[in-house]
Amino acid sequence: MDFSLNGRRVASPPAMDDDPLLYVLRDHFGLNGPKFGCGVGACGACTVHVDGAAQRACQLTPRDVKGRTVVTLEGLGSGRPDGLHPVQRAWIDASVPQCGYCQNGQIMTAAALLAADPGAGPAAAAAAMDEVVCRCGTQARIRQALSKAQAVIRDGS
Amino acid sequence: MTELSRRSLLKALGWATGGIIVFGGAGGARAFPTFPYRGAPTPEDAAVWLSLRPGGEIEVFSPRAEFGQGIAVALRQIVSEETGVGLEFVRCRLPGTGMIRPARATVGSDSIKDFGPLLAQAAAALAAAMRARAATLIGVPAESLTPSGDGFKAASGATVTLSRLAKGKPLIIDEQAVATAEPHSLRPGRAHTVVGQAQPTDDIDAIVTATRPIYADDIRLPDMVHGAAIRPELVGGRIEAADDTACRAVPGYLGLHRDGDFIAVLAERRGALRPALAALEVTTRGDGKVDDATIAAALDVDAALAGGALEHVLESDDMDPAADYDVDLTLDVPMAGHVPMEPRTAVARFRDDGKLEIWTGTQDAFFARAVVADELHLDEDDVVVHGLRTGGAFGGKTLCTVELEAARLARAAGRPVKVQWSRRDEFAGNFQRQPSRHRIRARLAPDGGIDAWWHAFRAGHVIFTSAALGPILQFATSFVPDMGSKRGALPPYRARRKRIEFEDVRLPVPTGPWRGLGAGPNSWAIETAIDALARQANRDPLAFRVGAIAADQPRLAAVLRQVATLSNWSDRRPDAGRGYGVACGVYKGMSYAAVVAEVAMADGDAPRVSGLWCAHDCGLVINPDQVRAQIEGNLVWGLGMALHERLEVRDGRIQADSHADYPLPRFSDVPAIDIALIGQEHVSSGAGETAIVAASAAITNAISALTGTTITRLPYRG
Repeated sequence: MDFSLNGRRVASPPAMDDDPLLYVLRDHFGLNGPKFGCGVGACGACTVHVDGAAQRACQLTPRDVKGRTVVTLEGLGSGRPDGLHPVQRAWIDASVPQCGYCQNGQIMTAAALLAADPGAGPAAAAAAMDEVVCRCGTQARIRQALSKAQAVIRDGS
Repeated sequence: MTELSRRSLLKALGWATGGIIVFGGAGGARAFPTFPYRGAPTPEDAAVWLSLRPGGEIEVFSPRAEFGQGIAVALRQIVSEETGVGLEFVRCRLPGTGMIRPARATVGSDSIKDFGPLLAQAAAALAAAMRARAATLIGVPAESLTPSGDGFKAASGATVTLSRLAKGKPLIIDEQAVATAEPHSLRPGRAHTVVGQAQPTDDIDAIVTATRPIYADDIRLPDMVHGAAIRPELVGGRIEAADDTACRAVPGYLGLHRDGDFIAVLAERRGALRPALAALEVTTRGDGKVDDATIAAALDVDAALAGGALEHVLESDDMDPAADYDVDLTLDVPMAGHVPMEPRTAVARFRDDGKLEIWTGTQDAFFARAVVADELHLDEDDVVVHGLRTGGAFGGKTLCTVELEAARLARAAGRPVKVQWSRRDEFAGNFQRQPSRHRIRARLAPDGGIDAWWHAFRAGHVIFTSAALGPILQFATSFVPDMGSKRGALPPYRARRKRIEFEDVRLPVPTGPWRGLGAGPNSWAIETAIDALARQANRDPLAFRVGAIAADQPRLAAVLRQVATLSNWSDRRPDAGRGYGVACGVYKGMSYAAVVAEVAMADGDAPRVSGLWCAHDCGLVINPDQVRAQIEGNLVWGLGMALHERLEVRDGRIQADSHADYPLPRFSDVPAIDIALIGQEHVSSGAGETAIVAASAAITNAISALTGTTITRLPYRG
């Protein structure tokens, strides 16, 4: 299937057309951003952007993204100063990660939320972020980092 | 059994001595527990932890695994402080069995306490060797040199860079130099520059940008294939037969591998595994009778007490069951899962020279090596386990599981194999946190203190987990009190009479180490009963605790007073559906925490934790940012214990397939968290599990403050 992956036109092999997009991204394209966490769309660790929206890569196949634009954590900061999206910058500044395994999903979900709704209030933030599980207990820092990133994005810097 | 004969028994089993023993047990019980063997690290071990690399960097070969507790950066900070070499020139490599001498499992919040001082000694020895070489290079006395971050500077202004120092013969530090070094970096009360500095976890750049491989699933080898083991669906079940005829229609399916109880499928692509597993016809045996009621019956502490004293008596004053008690509670803690976000994953490859390499995220790379070598009849020297950053462990990645599966399949396939557990495997294929049932009876003294404290409980095994022991060993160890189940059972309070007794129970569901072992459940029970006593006495629960704390626990009283200030406790009164609760505890006799929780509860709604404050004393803090992160994590775990977590068993089946079936605290469940770190004048102890002793009870006590009813069952669901 042909699609855009982190700004490049790519083609996934026909033998993988019915595989989870997550495995295609990880095993064929060698990407490390989206993680396997549950395989059933329940944890969010595999989140990628499809045409800008946060989607679970374990619940899609290459057929679902044919002709569409897929961005993974690797491509999120592309073209930004230091190669970091404001959400990534805020995650580093607030020292969010512990084990780090869920943070792909947290960052991709937060970035999609703020792109769609830069003024997202607490209810919208909860609706989006409650869907991404963190076991280490980084939620309080995620909230701080999200606010910081939101301020940066709203101020247009 | 006397203490002495227990020791003899353990010794006979090889537990009290060094080294690793691995039993090829029956019934799939092959891996051996990781806690009681392998001694403390020695200067000989530490001599290989540090080296000055040719590029001019100091490299730390970490004897501790990293799974989010921030140990790697803390070890770098110790080395940087000790040597005066800038933190940016100190890097850390996670434990591989080919790099260092065997180190014990990364468990029990003991990394800084047990490994930090030796690492500081090794760093002091390396600093002295570097200084001596620098002095020789520029021909000045060693004493006239001062570290400049990237090398040394002489009084004359001459400098020696790290890369210049690193040229020529390797700088070797030996056991003797480590043993005699006198480090300063961990001495409380000294002015430090790098120790005490807030630093993010190592690899934060790779976590946030995914530009480098850091987890086991990021390892991809040429010609690698994928495997998945087949597990019985029912607790105690067994696979009788597997027919893969239909699997052969799945493109990419390679075959079925069977070796005793180990059955697995192999496929060219990961995407072929699920359809192959779905097509596989499996005949299993299992009675499907185990359920929550079976487990509750096994934990019936009152039935056990009816037969007299429980098996293990920790405090032995006589108590009268017929007497009146001010508080008489029966308290229940359920089973819980670890639910690390990274399902365990391993890649195994046999090299052309016959040696086996394994990449994995584990709490115990050396144990994995020992088990794999034994099972595959390899020399330990022919197995190398590369420990990678682990996506959460929490006590659940202490045994050898996926590593052995990958190794077996790599041998069978003749190709490198990756095995990654499914989420269902993580829930049902691993051991669980032990459930427990507690009966606590207590009486107030006329002076407002505690007259009598009688705590009896039955709990599942932790260290002697049936996940790891064969039946013969299970029998042998049944005479020995499980030190995991009893952790945290001794209250830090004065009482005129005390009786504490327990029984460790072998449950049909394997139970084992889970963050803090017994300390989380036991402290919750104790702190619930203490709160009930304070209510009974009509006393402020925080003041009651301060008054009742044993004289030899001044640091516990100090964290309580500190959290009172931090949370503005004296002005907090329950009103308009907002309640406040407090709890405190000591972890492993070394670290102290007190927590205040604010809970908001509108009529008929589920309670919501709206504020958490924690005062914490783990002695000198190497990295306040990472210690705070550990405290935050423990508070969220306490929140999960209090309001969310319960792993159910019905009809013989663990009732969780994914996160959807096992609620954990989510983003909007977690309030702002305010932390005070005190006690820096003491030597460093541990922070990885400490706050779990106070977090859950602070929350349930806050609910009780609102409702007036003691919560006796976790989780609280209204």
